Order: sequence, then structure tokens, then C-alpha cells
Amino acid sequence: MSEMGIADRARRGAVPGAVAGLAGGVVFGGVMAEIGFLPTVAAIVRTDVIPLAFAVHMLFAAIIGAGFGLLVVHQRARVEELLFWGLVYGMLWWFLGPLTLLPILLGRPVAWDLAGGRELLPSLIGHLVYGAVTAAAFAWLRRPAGSRPRIRPAAPVRGLAAGALTAAVLVFGLGVMTGVPPYRLFVYGVVLGLGYPLLFGDRPEGTGPALIRGVAYGFAWWILVALTFPTLLTTGTLDWSLEGVRNAVPELPGLVLLGAGTAAGTTWLAAAGQALFEDDIRRLHRVSFGPGRLRAAGYGLAGGLAGGVVFALVLAPSGLLPTVARLAGGRTALTGLWVHLVIAMAVGVSYGVFFRNRSFDLASGLGWGVCYGFLWWILGGLTLAPVLLGGAPLWTAAGLTASFPVLVGHLAYGAVLGAVCGRLEQRVSPWWLTRGQAEQERRTALREQTLGSAPALWTFVLLIALTVPLLIAR
Amino acid sequence: MKGRRWRLAGYGMGGALVAAGLGGLLVDARLTDPLGWALWSGGLIAVAAVMVAARLRTRPAERARVLYGAGAGLAGGLLVGSVQAYHGMLGHPGPAAFAAHAVLLGAVLGFVAGERAEDLATAFSCGILTGLLDWAVWQLTLRPLLAGRLPTWALASADEQFGALVGDVLLGGTAGVLLYCALALRRRAPAGPAPAQAPLPRVVIVGGGFGGVGTARRLDRLAARGLRADVTLISDTNALLFTPMLAGVASSALEPRHVSAPVRAALTHTSFLHGHVDRIDTAGRLVHVTTADEGMASVRYDHLVLAVGSVPYFFDLPGLAEHAFPLKTVGDATRLRNHVLGALERADLEPAARTRAEFLTFVVAGGGFAGTELVAELSDLVYGVLRHYPNVRESEPRFVLVHTGERILPELPAELGAYAQERLARRGVEFRLNVAVAEARAGAVRLGDGTVIPARTLAWTAGNRPHPLTAALSGGGRLTVDPFLRVDGVEGVWAIGDCAGIPGPDGRPYPPTAQHALREGRAVAGNVAAAITGGRPAEFRFRGIGVLVALGHRTGVAEIRGRRVTGLPAWLLWRGVYLAKLPGWEKKLRVLADWTIDLVFSRDIALTPSPPRAARHPEAGHE
Repeated sequence: MSEMGIADRARRGAVPGAVAGLAGGVVFGGVMAEIGFLPTVAAIVRTDVIPLAFAVHMLFAAIIGAGFGLLVVHQRARVEELLFWGLVYGMLWWFLGPLTLLPILLGRPVAWDLAGGRELLPSLIGHLVYGAVTAAAFAWLRRPAGSRPRIRPAAPVRGLAAGALTAAVLVFGLGVMTGVPPYRLFVYGVVLGLGYPLLFGDRPEGTGPALIRGVAYGFAWWILVALTFPTLLTTGTLDWSLEGVRNAVPELPGLVLLGAGTAAGTTWLAAAGQALFEDDIRRLHRVSFGPGRLRAAGYGLAGGLAGGVVFALVLAPSGLLPTVARLAGGRTALTGLWVHLVIAMAVGVSYGVFFRNRSFDLASGLGWGVCYGFLWWILGGLTLAPVLLGGAPLWTAAGLTASFPVLVGHLAYGAVLGAVCGRLEQRVSPWWLTRGQAEQERRTALREQTLGSAPALWTFVLLIALTVPLLIAR
Repeated sequence: MKGRRWRLAGYGMGGALVAAGLGGLLVDARLTDPLGWALWSGGLIAVAAVMVAARLRTRPAERARVLYGAGAGLAGGLLVGSVQAYHGMLGHPGPAAFAAHAVLLGAVLGFVAGERAEDLATAFSCGILTGLLDWAVWQLTLRPLLAGRLPTWALASADEQFGALVGDVLLGGTAGVLLYCALALRRRAPAGPAPAQAPLPRVVIVGGGFGGVGTARRLDRLAARGLRADVTLISDTNALLFTPMLAGVASSALEPRHVSAPVRAALTHTSFLHGHVDRIDTAGRLVHVTTADEGMASVRYDHLVLAVGSVPYFFDLPGLAEHAFPLKTVGDATRLRNHVLGALERADLEPAARTRAEFLTFVVAGGGFAGTELVAELSDLVYGVLRHYPNVRESEPRFVLVHTGERILPELPAELGAYAQERLARRGVEFRLNVAVAEARAGAVRLGDGTVIPARTLAWTAGNRPHPLTAALSGGGRLTVDPFLRVDGVEGVWAIGDCAGIPGPDGRPYPPTAQHALREGRAVAGNVAAAITGGRPAEFRFRGIGVLVALGHRTGVAEIRGRRVTGLPAWLLWRGVYLAKLPGWEKKLRVLADWTIDLVFSRDIALTPSPPRAARHPEAGHE
């Protein structure tokens, strides 16, 4: 890690961060004016003059933006990387700002109560917008001199095809499940598919990271197309209230799955294109320091079994094992345990293959694992399992709330799965590297991952996984 | 060893808790008592804690990060906790428990993400991540359990849970930033002199056959589990030859490459040296190796494992070294295949009856597994491709198996040996028993009883002797080793496989088979590791699983743990078992493809360039 002096850190981090914060502040200020939050800011300086409140807000935005700059000064200055850091930072400031510091500044007691949190839901989304805009502006300010975004013409085509294909699968599947095919997902699929490569570029990444990136991407689109555009286009206002969010929840799982599928599909199409048209063998056979696919699948099987055992800890006291048994026509908890373990191992194998050579320490194993667990909660817990049990997908606010214990189980499962697979992968190292060299290679890979957006991605996905169901609980 | 005992005791205790909890849950079908669940989860936590403690015991850097993390957690806890306390949100179970919980959160953060915490953004992000996981574990799970309630994870008391979530997110984020600051300050402190690293013990394995590769693979696994040793495998072939399928190569049923698995691909932590071992200096603990380009090299060892196998032995009989075809290497098998096909080509053109008989007579010396399988495969090859040679009549080819014993396959029960002999005799194979080959000439093979068989093909499977490399240590025969596989009287040298006489429980040496060599390899690796770590070596004990012999087209004999199988089932068993044992999925698929193609098409009769007859016998790696 390159050490940086305080002055250098301020010049390269705080100053552009403050400027980027101002850009984020302008957008967030507009949002605050729309949701009627500026008078609360004005109360901080004991005034009711809105322009003054806006100025105070901009001052805060610049200071918080400077903090963001200091935080990410070492990260790669690219929009696609910094975006997730901005989202995490914005969300953290929701916990720290309106929920904690604002009451203190206003001389009120800090409550951290659910009612207050729900009241501040519009502010939460505003903070996410602020974080995203600040991150984008910071990346633009810190872009390397002379750099231009390079998007090959094939990339949007791939994204479009992946988005349309995923949407087709979802429309068909949901049509079979519910009898009402949600054709609007086609439109979303086209838009998401076009946007994904434009935003994230031609990334040579594995399926696993792409899936998780797609989850966050789908969530961002949910805010746009389900929460923002409908009321903005029809009434010209923003409805980010609790009821507005609850009403938009049925769109959330579909868009998250659409995002994940689009991202994975884009990656697969890129890989297929490379396999067909790449004539330089070095680009096809990149040096890999971890296990092969088959061995990784074996590790996934072992991790899936371990994770399944821990998941059973949640299912047993919740009394859900007999329900799981019904998936295979059984009734008893023991049958449910067997069915559950078989599913856990099958999902574990997919994790082992998709996330092969992506875990370099316990943190990365846990991070990828919990995110994958969350994705399977949406796909399995909320969608496939209810349908296979004879019902409809639980894509409602009440469904999400009721399924919260299963979410905790999926997260525990993912954490154990990721940790076990990561640990097993670390046992494999090529013989031509000495222990010191292998350790150096691992540290380099870990450093590369740290410079990217992976840690922010894990945190953001877990934040939304735990916060959204809690806030919309009835 | 003491640490290992503690670790095992910890695992045992955790496992017992898990088992007790599971039992409790099964008994408590209505799931009303949290005890069973608590025992189960407590057992898992105990096992995880033992694993973490065992890891930290040997890693001071990680230990320091955990301590820094605990400090950062405490500082963050004081900050967040004071806000909560000031505003009356620090309810049950009180400030002390909250502080302890914050310390634990910080320690977990240091353990999980301490290495990443050298970067501010990552430390911050991982802090929040840890806080969120802590919320699910502590608030939703352990707190109800400690209060004597069954955790349900339902959002019934969402209000209380939301407050805890905010606290944990802020606590995690603060602890992450503080951990980064603490580690940054630590990095700036002047570092003391780096402790001198003791050199790793060097383990050298000579031989790339079943025994040598088995040893290396086992040491690989042990290295992955923490064994600190520098392991080198030296072999003059860079692939493990799957000898049970060698007869298939000689009969054109299998491609030579498909029965050889690259050694490099099978190893992860062990380094590989492609070279020929010339001499071993046991006094100086050096192995002298000749490599293709670099000339001589000396490799130092602390532990030397000899798995050099055996080489063909002709008992100094006249003409055998020049005219007999041994079957030990892929080169031998390819040479024999080309010779047989070449003899058919010549016979097709040859008008003289005597010379035709020489070309079309195939003598195999040795009625053990290798000789019996080979004569059956050669018979399949010749009769299978005969339609391509219109001038050779079906009655002309002659196959003779010469064996010094009373019956073939002496390792098998007499009934199975008789079955094999009867099946082969029905195909026209002649048996010359109780007689040995005495001499080989260009167009004839003379037996011990004076019989002369006109033949230009003599395949030799009737004699092996230990590798010459071991002669200096053993005085000529197999190396004498104790039940722990240590070579008698030579410190730091171990021996396995065909080159070693390993005493069994009854005092008789174990047979020189692949299944034994593989197990000996694993055993010697464990004993070498024990010698390095100060552990106790274990005696080698193994009871053979069984014997399988393929008798060519769709028939075979087998004895598995006393059960006898013959005919098609035995043949299928042979193929199934050896396909499963063949190293690597790629090779399995290739051999399977070869066998499948063989079902539809006749065998390939294209002559390929034969490798030259070896100037010296391979001295490493073939058993």
C-alpha cells in the first residue's frame, strides 16, 4: 500500500471529494426540497429561511463529500468501482445523520426507533442518491489524464441480449407460476441490459461477482423504475414514503433477479465470444492460482453441506423443516432436513464454481457468501419454494416480512458456505511458487480486490438485505 | 503435539455438544425448549473458536490484529454506547455486556478483515459488514437464547431490533475506521529486526510411479494443512504411467498418452524435478541428479523417500537383452505394438512357410498378471486386424505362453487360474508350463527343455529386479525396511514400492502391486511428516483388496475379498475399477473414448515411429 501524506491525501481526496459532495448536494438538495425536508435542515441553524437551509445543506454536503474523498482516495477512480462505495457511504450517513446527529443538533433525544426510521425513508433514498452522485463526480474529477471510456460496440449488444433473455425467462416463469406474465419486465430487461455494459464496461470478471453486482444494479433500478418514475411522471412528485415503498415492493424481487441475470448473462456472452473469436491463447488461458472447476465444485459441495447444517439451526426452531419436506412430498422434519441438505449442497456446488478463485481471506469468503445467500433468498425462498409448495411468489411487503427468518437462514448459510470454500481454496497453491511467492500472489489478488468495489458491494447488499425488510415490516 | 491434543479435545467437545443438541431437538419434537438448539449452536461456536484459537497460536501477526480489533471495538463501543446510554437506549443486559459485546465485535473484525484493514475504505466497509452480521448473530439469536427464549428471527419486535441495527452499523463502521487508524500507527512505529527464519526441512522423493506420486500427493495434503516442509519429487519421466493399462497400449486398444498422467498437474505444493538420479550420498545427504540440459545437480535432503521400483531382469540368458521385448514403459509397449503389426505386414508378403511361421508366432514369457493379460491382448489385436492382411490365414497366428510354474496366475486360487487357462486355450493360446525360456535368437526362442519355437516376437514379463540405484544401499537385493518404512541402518532414508521389502504382519514382504505402493506412499508421507513435527510414526499395515485380471475380449477373472468373479462381470469390474483409479478426469474420459471407439471400429494398425530400445533401464518411477 502506498503511504500518502496528510497534505497529499487532502489534495487528492478531500478537495475533489468536497467538490463531488457539492454535486451530490445539488441533487440531494432538489430531492429534499421535493420531499419537504429543507425546513428541518433550516432548524439546525435556528432559521426558517429555505435558501439559508439549502446553503447549510450544501456546506454539509461538501464536508461529507470531503470525508468520502478521504475514505476512497486509495480506491480505483472509476465510476463502476466507486459507485458502490458511494452507496454504502450514503447509507451510513443516513444512520449517522438524520437518525443520530440531526436529533442531537436539534436538541431532541436520539431514539433510533422504527417509526422515526420509516418517517426518514425518503431521506434514506435521498442519501443513496447523494452517495451515488458524489461517487460519480469524484470519479470524474479523479479520472486519469487523457483517459476515455472505451466501450466496444459489441458490449451493449451483449447486455441487450442478456437483459432480454433474462426478462424472457422471468416473464415465462412468472407467467407459469402466477398465470399473469409480467410483460413490463421485457422493457426493463432491455433498459437494464443496455445500461449494464455502459455503466460497468467490459469487465473480465467471473459469474459470481457479476451476479452480486447485478443484485445491487437491480436494486438501483428498482428505486428508479418502481419507486421514482411512476409518481414523478404521473404527478410530478416523489413518493418515497413508507406506503410508496411498500407498494413498490412487488417489483423489487423481479428487478433484483433481472439485474443478476443480466449481469451474469453479459459475462457469459462475453466469455463465449472470447472463446469463439479470440485467437490469442494467452487471453483464454489466464494463469489461475486456485483450484480447477471440478475441485471447486467439490469444495462447494462441502461448504454447502456445512452451510446447510447451520441453516437447519434456523429452520428447526422456526418449525419450517416439515414445510421443506413438502417439496419432496414428505411431511416429517427429518425428511425436510434431508431435502434441505440436498438443496444446500446443490447451491453450494454452484457457489464453488461461480466464485472460484475469488476468496482470498475470510472477509471475502463471508462477503461473497452472504450476498449469494441473499440472492438465493429471493430466488429460492421468495420465488421458487412458495410456487413449488402450491402458492404464489412472496413478492409483497407482507411476504418479505414473514420470510425474514428464512432470510437470516440464507445469510447464515451463505456465510458458512463462503468461509468454508474460501478456506479450502486457500489450501491449493501451485507447486512452482514457494510458500512466500504463493502468499505474495494471494496478497496481490487481495489488494486488487480491495482496490475495486468488492468490499463495498458485499456491505451494500447486506445493508439492503437487512434494512429494507425491517423498515417495511407491518 | 500438545497443541494438537488440545485442538482434538476442543473438536471432540464441540462435536459432542452438536450431537447432544441434535439429540435434544429430535426428542423435543415440538421445539419448545431452547436447550437442544443452544447445545447445537454452542457446539458449532466451540468448534469455530477452537479453530480460530489454533490458528492464532501460530500466527503472531493475526493475533496482533485481533488485539487491535478488540481495542478498536472497545473504543467504538464507548463512543456509540455513550450515545445510547445518554439517550436511555442501553437497556438490558447493561453497559458491561455491551462493552464486552463491542470488544468481541472488534476482535472478530480484526480476525476477519484485519489484513484488509490497511485500507481505510475497506476497513470501514468491513466494519459495517461485521456490525450487520453481529446484529443477526447477537441481537436476533444469542440475546433471546441468553434470556431463555427460543430465537425465532421473526420481525415481531421490529422496533427494538431496528434500534439495535442502527447501533451495530454505527459501531461496526466506527470500529473499522479506528482499526485502520490503529494499524496505521503501528506501521509507522519503528520495526525491530525481523526474526531469523529456520530453513524448512527438505523432503526428496525419488521415483514418479505409484509410490512416489502417492507420497508426494499425501505430503501435498499435509502441507495444505500446515506442514512446513520443502518437498521435491525427482523422476526421469514427467508422467505417472498407469501400468495396469500398458497391455492395452501394446495391443493398440489405448493411446500411449492416455495412460500417462502428468505429474506436475497432480501436485500443488510439491516441486518437481525432471531428471535422472545417478547417485545417492547418504553420508552427505545429497542426491546427485542429471537433468537434460543443465547437467549434474545436487539436491540436499533431510528425508529421502526411495520409490524407484524395479527394472526388467533377463537372468543373463543369451540373446534376451537383444531380442526380448520387456513391458515396463510406454516406450516398451509402443515398440511391441509396432513390432507385432510390422510382423503382420511382413508375413502378408512372405512366401516361405518357415519364415511366415516366425513372423506369426508370438511368445510371451511369464504367466503372472502381466504375461497373461498381454498374451490375451495380443491375441485380440492380431485376430482383430487380420482381415486387413488377406494373405495371412486365420489358422496361421500362434500364441505361446511360457511359464516356469505348474499353472498360470499363481497369485490367484487354482480354480480361477484354471478358468483363465481354459478360456485362453479355447482361443488358441498354447501353454508351455514348468519350463523357462533359455535363449532367444533372431528367429527362434529356445526353451529350457530344448524345444525351439520359431518366433520373432518374445515378450518378457518373467523377471524383475530392484532398481540399480538401491544396490549401493542394499547390497544387491530389495532394500530392507522396518514396519515404519525406514531403511535399516541409513538415517533419514525411507523406501517403498517394488524396491523395498516391507515386512507384513506375518513377516513375509508385501507383494509389489500398485495398490500396495499407493498405500505405502501415503503411509511413508505420514511418517515423514511425523518425523518432522516430532510425532509418532505408524506401522504400515494393509490387507490387499483383491486381484483383477483382464483376459482380453469381454472376459476376465477377479477375486475381491475372497469373492470370485469370472467372465463378463469380471471384465466389466476390471474396466470399471481401473478407470476409476486412473488419475485425472481428462485421462478417464480419453480412455473411455478409446474403449468406446474400440467397440465400433477395429484397432488402429498404423505403424508409428518406435522409440529406440533404452540404452539403460529406466531407473526411476516404474513399478
